[in-house]
Amino acid sequence: MSGIARGALAVAASAVAMALIAAGSSAPVPFHAEEGGRLRLSWSARPERIERCREVSAKELAEREEHMRQRVECEGHFASYALVVALDGQAADTAIVRGAGMRHDRPMYLLRSFDVPAGRRRVRVEFTRRERSETKHDGDDDDSERRTSADSGISAGRAQREAVERARRGKAAIPPRLVLDTVLDIAPREVIVLTFNQERRVLEILRQDGQDDRASKASK
Amino acid sequence: MPPLQRGFRRLLGVLDAAATKLYGWPWNPLHQSGTIAVAMLVALIASGVYLILFYRLGAPSASVARMAADPWLGSWIRSFHRYASDLFVIAAVLHLIRMFAQSRSWGSRTLAWISGLLLLGVGFACAWTGFVMAWDSFGERLALNGARLLDALPILSEPLGRIFAGDGPVPSAFFFVNMFMHIALPLAMGAMLWLHVSRLARPTLMPPKRVTWSIVGALVLTAVLLPAELGPAANPFVLASHTPTDLFVAWWLPLAERLSPGETWGIGLVGMLALVMIPKWTRRPREGRWAPSVVDPRLCTGCNQCPQDCPWDAITMIKRDDDRPTLVAHVDPARCVSCGICAGSCAPMGIGPAGRTGRDQLAAARAELAGPAAGSAAGQVIAICCSQVPPSHVAALSERGALIQQVSCAGNLHTSVVELFVRSGARGVVVCACPPRDCVSREGPKWLGERLFNDREAELQARVDRRRITVITCAPGALGAALAAYDAFAGSLASLDIADSESLLELDTECEPVPLEAEGT
Repeated sequence: MSGIARGALAVAASAVAMALIAAGSSAPVPFHAEEGGRLRLSWSARPERIERCREVSAKELAEREEHMRQRVECEGHFASYALVVALDGQAADTAIVRGAGMRHDRPMYLLRSFDVPAGRRRVRVEFTRRERSETKHDGDDDDSERRTSADSGISAGRAQREAVERARRGKAAIPPRLVLDTVLDIAPREVIVLTFNQERRVLEILRQDGQDDRASKASK
Repeated sequence: MPPLQRGFRRLLGVLDAAATKLYGWPWNPLHQSGTIAVAMLVALIASGVYLILFYRLGAPSASVARMAADPWLGSWIRSFHRYASDLFVIAAVLHLIRMFAQSRSWGSRTLAWISGLLLLGVGFACAWTGFVMAWDSFGERLALNGARLLDALPILSEPLGRIFAGDGPVPSAFFFVNMFMHIALPLAMGAMLWLHVSRLARPTLMPPKRVTWSIVGALVLTAVLLPAELGPAANPFVLASHTPTDLFVAWWLPLAERLSPGETWGIGLVGMLALVMIPKWTRRPREGRWAPSVVDPRLCTGCNQCPQDCPWDAITMIKRDDDRPTLVAHVDPARCVSCGICAGSCAPMGIGPAGRTGRDQLAAARAELAGPAAGSAAGQVIAICCSQVPPSHVAALSERGALIQQVSCAGNLHTSVVELFVRSGARGVVVCACPPRDCVSREGPKWLGERLFNDREAELQARVDRRRITVITCAPGALGAALAAYDAFAGSLASLDIADSESLLELDTECEPVPLEAEGT
């Protein structure tokens, strides 16, 4: 083989090798073969704390350092929740959801996907607290004002602050029962995200075009 | 040799032959796979520095799309960056296969093998983060799978996959961490590369300039003519039917998506473990061909040549335990790969693997000349072939009348053997060596040439007519060129007289005196 012919062959082989690299670099590999859509449940929320609270007596308070004088002491655990998903009236999934962490005291996270055929689908999602709660927050107590006025020194207003904090924690927790029952028109290859809106405290639906379906019902 | 190793060796021989036919052995890219991977790493860093200037953490896909749309620089530099990463993976895998097939994966090369695996693994991880940076449909697919795999591990309390679920924008912190990894991992690769070559003397890090610039030019041309496709921006509300997938980096992706995370982790870990265990499985007993070099302190003059020539830094000069004033060579068997190059470097023939020292070679050559074939060398061309030379080359030289002798490596050959053959009446001596960039002993052809023609210790004595000696490179796929070189050499010998017989010279007295009296014998 002459030098020129070999050179031409080498250039051609290099061109083929480079073309193969370019082709292999952007090969159209199938991802979602199905033509249907997908319902994705995704949210994080704080589980409710189920606790028994007791008011610390004035005698007990007096025995404690001033900065340790918490008016109400609570003991308990974080609630677990039952998730029930039904598509077109058929049960698609049931699960028990707890807060993350060894003691389940971290926020709970939910991420589940359901492949659904495109078209009009009835979707029902229930997220319900499993335990009964008998927690009574001091923030709701009629006597709080009276006890607050008794605070003095660095404890001034402490009882009120504690009540506000307990109330805030209660509100930050996910409601004990969330239900979304709706009919959705699901386009082929569309992903519909169902999430918990922390501000509105409802389950809501997010779609690409921005149309939100807030047909959920939240009830305490 | 295990069947798998033999199979890869055969495959490599076919590929090597094809590439040598196309490019010639000096430019055969398959011989340079390791250095091409390093060159691509450099190219990736250079092009990546440019690209990072235009990357926006707040709008990753939009900023990459803007780069891809820039016809002047952005488009082709982005594509060049992508193709260079693909070539890095290809070159690194070829390098790995070559080392495995050539039994260069155990003993003192274990560190290089393990660090090479790490380099390849980190290279994959770096490419992964790079594709996620682009945040197109393929980047999203990689991110989702990465999250799926990580979420299967009990590490994170919140599933990572939630940030791609669509209930909120993907946080900039994710892209920041991803970009940080994409920048930090190449730095880690630099450190690993240092480790990878730390047991080599004079490591060759870059391919020949001609090869480097040819590859860079070809990649640039490809990037200009066939820009790398950028998929549609990642969208959590759409199920993409296809993604433009980089098969060199994400070849495992379609399989992993069909398996559970546990199965993917299991297969991946078993695969990695198998690769890590290869040095153990391919290890040979340190005897015979694989026996480490030993030093005969009676013969060592402390000249310091063998430590200089050893390609593995396996030899050091230490204090003698007798009263001679010189140092003595010491071989670390853990670092010695039994290449025998030290034997070729030692004028007094005091070092080398058992059976392959200069003295052993000389004794074997003398026995050959005095044996049943005595006198057959007279008037013949003797071809001393490296054991790695393809059998087809050896057979073709034999057919042309050359008297074949074997040596484990061209660098192992002691020049006294060459002189002995010339003085025994041989018309000429041809040493058949491997391509210098494909020498399993790394520097065999290089040191042989220096010793034969440039007076490097242990040099071929000046009294030997250099016109009777030549070195030809015998690469698979270059038989014609090797035979042409042989024919030209044989033709040039026709006009020369037969060399003086060895009997007219006393080789032992021609050599430098060896102070044997010090050992008290």
